[in-house]
Amino acid sequence: MSRRYQIASELSVIVYFGNTIDPLISKEVQKAYQALKANALEEFYEIIPSYASLMVSYDVIRFDFHEVCERIEKVIHHAEEITMSEPKIVTIPVYYGLEVGLDLELLAYEKNLSVEEIIALHTQELYSVYAIGFAPGFAYLGEIDERLATSRLANPRKVVPKGSVAIADRQSAVYPTQSPGGWKILGRTPTSMFDASYDGLSLLHVGDQVRYEPISKEEFLRLGGVL
Amino acid sequence: MNGFIVENGGLQSSIQDAGRKGFSDIGLTQSGAMDELAFGYANFLVGNPFNTAAIEIALGGASFRAKSEICIAICGANMQPTCNGHSIALWQTYQLRRGDVISFGFANEGQFTYIAVAGGFQTPFAYGSYSTSLKEGLGGIEGRKLKSGDILPTLGARCPVDRRKLERKFIPKYPETITLRLLKGYQETMFDAQAQETFFNSTYTFKGEGDRMGYRLSGEKVIPSATGILSEPICYGAVQVPSHGEPIVLLKERQTIGGYPKIGSVIAVDCFRLAQLKAGGKVRFKEVSIEEAQRATKAFYAFFKEQEA
Repeated sequence: MSRRYQIASELSVIVYFGNTIDPLISKEVQKAYQALKANALEEFYEIIPSYASLMVSYDVIRFDFHEVCERIEKVIHHAEEITMSEPKIVTIPVYYGLEVGLDLELLAYEKNLSVEEIIALHTQELYSVYAIGFAPGFAYLGEIDERLATSRLANPRKVVPKGSVAIADRQSAVYPTQSPGGWKILGRTPTSMFDASYDGLSLLHVGDQVRYEPISKEEFLRLGGVL
Repeated sequence: MNGFIVENGGLQSSIQDAGRKGFSDIGLTQSGAMDELAFGYANFLVGNPFNTAAIEIALGGASFRAKSEICIAICGANMQPTCNGHSIALWQTYQLRRGDVISFGFANEGQFTYIAVAGGFQTPFAYGSYSTSLKEGLGGIEGRKLKSGDILPTLGARCPVDRRKLERKFIPKYPETITLRLLKGYQETMFDAQAQETFFNSTYTFKGEGDRMGYRLSGEKVIPSATGILSEPICYGAVQVPSHGEPIVLLKERQTIGGYPKIGSVIAVDCFRLAQLKAGGKVRFKEVSIEEAQRATKAFYAFFKEQEA
């Protein structure tokens, strides 16, 4: 598979493995990420994987752009031999009430679907974790049914409540803490996505699989959910 | 105990070092001093390595009481600092005695001021850094801004050099209009020739819509040809343009991954200057080559590295 190296800033380079959400491309990214983590941690400040790309931040005193590309390519080239482990399946309970699903009615109108149909489509899939980012423990899940595919809000919300379960394009995610955000919100989970007590701090890791399970308002509150 | 007691946290004061490295892959933001230049000089003056925890005061209003003899330096926006009610100068070391109270008013130019202490602050170390990530509630003192009663322990006492003072030529100014050098991005094709011309020929206003995460600029709209891209990692200084068409420069507490198109990245040393821009300040962008961008940022870090040697 061919890789494309691009300048992100004077301190970071982004490597593209493709430009679509694709399990095969994601696997290439994950292998490269693991190889870079294992072999080059001292040389690079950050190695961030995403769907089809990976960004490396580096010490500008030590490398110029061309040197860093050569160094990264050398490590990634040997990443082919890494074997990936079986994915872990995590269930996330979601309350899809209108008082927490802030964009459910908007989406129903846009897509000409009932709220019940939206919930059914959102919970039927087994999603893969393609990337962790945006905020601690924020996992990018793909892919939602194309009947739900939707654009981001033209004007992002200044405050999205913690635990909000949202969609954008054909991705889904849970907001681990209150933050600004432009994804459309369908419901809310009582489960913490990021916690110092978790192994690796984040509930989900790249490569895991996720299923959303609809729960009642009573169940949501019983599990510690906050309205 | 050596150190400070916070008498008043002001609008937003927090413990910061140069930032968190190596945790972006699980979504932890970089954080760190918004203006590494003022931060770096403050540490240099008290004889600390560049990456030593200091107090970052945003906007002003804070005051601290020394619990022991402490050598400090204050660098950045001029918030008219006083010690026991008497004015003290910025950009030089100052020896505090036990019980001294230093207080800050509000900045008339610039936004951030740093207080470095000899030996650095020994506040909790979280995820590889002393930095507070306010948005995420991580690091520093319980992940929040400083408040009255907080204890900030330090190691050092006496100044390493008697009244070390920064040479006048090094002292930065915080003008109301700045030009930021920008490295054009890999998504520039999502901005047609006209959009790019608008972007580089416009003067934007920072209306104060922003925080440690990033600054939104108001002015001529630059409309990308598509509303989103496949979510990908975001670097320091990235200029993303959501469909509302107003550029947002992403700074220290930025999200690690995002899906808005980016027209390019403001080089690091210019992000430090942007951080100091007050609400109402004006911004222009100027394209720069990778060679020039790397030369500028490399010179910055090499300067501070040399001071440590």
